[in-house]
Amino acid sequence: MKGSWVAMLRGYVWVKLIGGEPESFLNAATKEGISLWNISFTKSGELNFGVSVPDFFKLKPLLRLNGSRTRILSKHGLPFRMERLSRRKTFAVGMIVFVAALFILSTFIWNVKVEGNSAIPEEKILQAAKAEGIYSMQWSFRMQDAASLSQRLALRLPDAAWVGVDKRGTSITITVIDSTKPDKKPLEGPRHLVAKTDAVITRIVAESGRPKVERNDRVRKGDVLISGIIGDETNFKTVVSKGKVMGLVWHEYRIASPLATKTKNFTGVSQDRKYLIIGNRALQISGYKGEEYGSSLTRTSVQRTRLWNRMLPFGTMTEHELEVTEIESELTPTEAKEAGLAQARAEIKVKWGQDATIKAENILHEHTENGKVMLTVLFEVEQSIEMERPIG
Amino acid sequence: MVRVSRKLRKWTATILDLPQDVVLDLPRITMIGGLQVTVENHRGILHFSPDNLRLAMDNGEMEVTGQNLIIRNIGAEEVFVEGNILGVQLRAKGKPPG
Repeated sequence: MKGSWVAMLRGYVWVKLIGGEPESFLNAATKEGISLWNISFTKSGELNFGVSVPDFFKLKPLLRLNGSRTRILSKHGLPFRMERLSRRKTFAVGMIVFVAALFILSTFIWNVKVEGNSAIPEEKILQAAKAEGIYSMQWSFRMQDAASLSQRLALRLPDAAWVGVDKRGTSITITVIDSTKPDKKPLEGPRHLVAKTDAVITRIVAESGRPKVERNDRVRKGDVLISGIIGDETNFKTVVSKGKVMGLVWHEYRIASPLATKTKNFTGVSQDRKYLIIGNRALQISGYKGEEYGSSLTRTSVQRTRLWNRMLPFGTMTEHELEVTEIESELTPTEAKEAGLAQARAEIKVKWGQDATIKAENILHEHTENGKVMLTVLFEVEQSIEMERPIG
Repeated sequence: MVRVSRKLRKWTATILDLPQDVVLDLPRITMIGGLQVTVENHRGILHFSPDNLRLAMDNGEMEVTGQNLIIRNIGAEEVFVEGNILGVQLRAKGKPPG
């Protein structure tokens, strides 16, 4: 029995029996179903034993019959310990205060978190939450339940499609999902569409507004193509004209294409050098026997050692040096001309947009001079020619 | 009457091959070296001193001799004795000790 947690819980005492017949006392105790343990004699011939506290009180009548008394030697177990503790008032008060403080503090909201990557700024959400009574150090009981809170919060945040309030212990998580809105259209004032350059109209499609020109009309730069004024002279209205106008435009290009071109080529010969980096100094450790190249290109790669996320001031550097030769190639005048024209065509595409198509090209003039082919070319390009001009 | 039932029980135990202590309410003594003795089915303590413990049985008595004997635990049915045990003796009722 001794040492077992049940005995500890009920409490037990070590008792010394004084006077009377020990044998008859033991027999009487066992008959009563009182369990005694560690019954032994001291050197002075007294009987010692352990007994649990409830059983100790049951021993009283037996002792009287036997004509003996007991003396408690020591007390063990929870009841005695509690009694000792109860004598220390501040200790007990402290325990109660601790439990009370824990309870009271757990009824407060400690932190409010906003989740969901919303376009609505977090401050605005927190402000709305505060207006609904969700803020840190708020008393939990004063808050409504999460469902009605999220509903009322959603009313305060009209931009949000859905607002969720989740209370977990002392923390509140507000999840905000944005409603998807159509992109805002830029504000447009009433306007005309006018010609960007001199051109001959090939196609005109007016979405809104009144077309002023027709196919095959010749227009000058600044002429109104699609008018933003509809109605007659007395009753009219200005609108945002929209549409697409394609026209033939002539561009004159002067091209100078060189006959000799220089290209850099790798010879395929290369060498590596390795360095050890300490701080901002590099120590070469290999590649000493390399030869000098006349012209070369060096590619450098640095590997720094990392310790988790931090860069250490050690590492290796590899230099890869590639030998380069310059090859000069001579072009025939025809080749040079083709190269020049190709470049001019690419330039037109870049400058006038991808829907520009070259309808015709006329070489007006061509001569070779100072190792260059000089060309004057007239390109006939079909391209969009409309430009916006506000009315008023 | 008691004798008849006793005989009947003994006969049953023999026929059914049951352990005798279960059927006949005899004391069962378990001894672990010279350190511990557990006696089941005892009928009370007759004498107890640090070097001698006498227990009553149904038909006789039992004596445990030793040094520094301690009754670890005592219940209505069993006694658990610890100490430096030197001897266990059984004596039938009516016969003189020894």
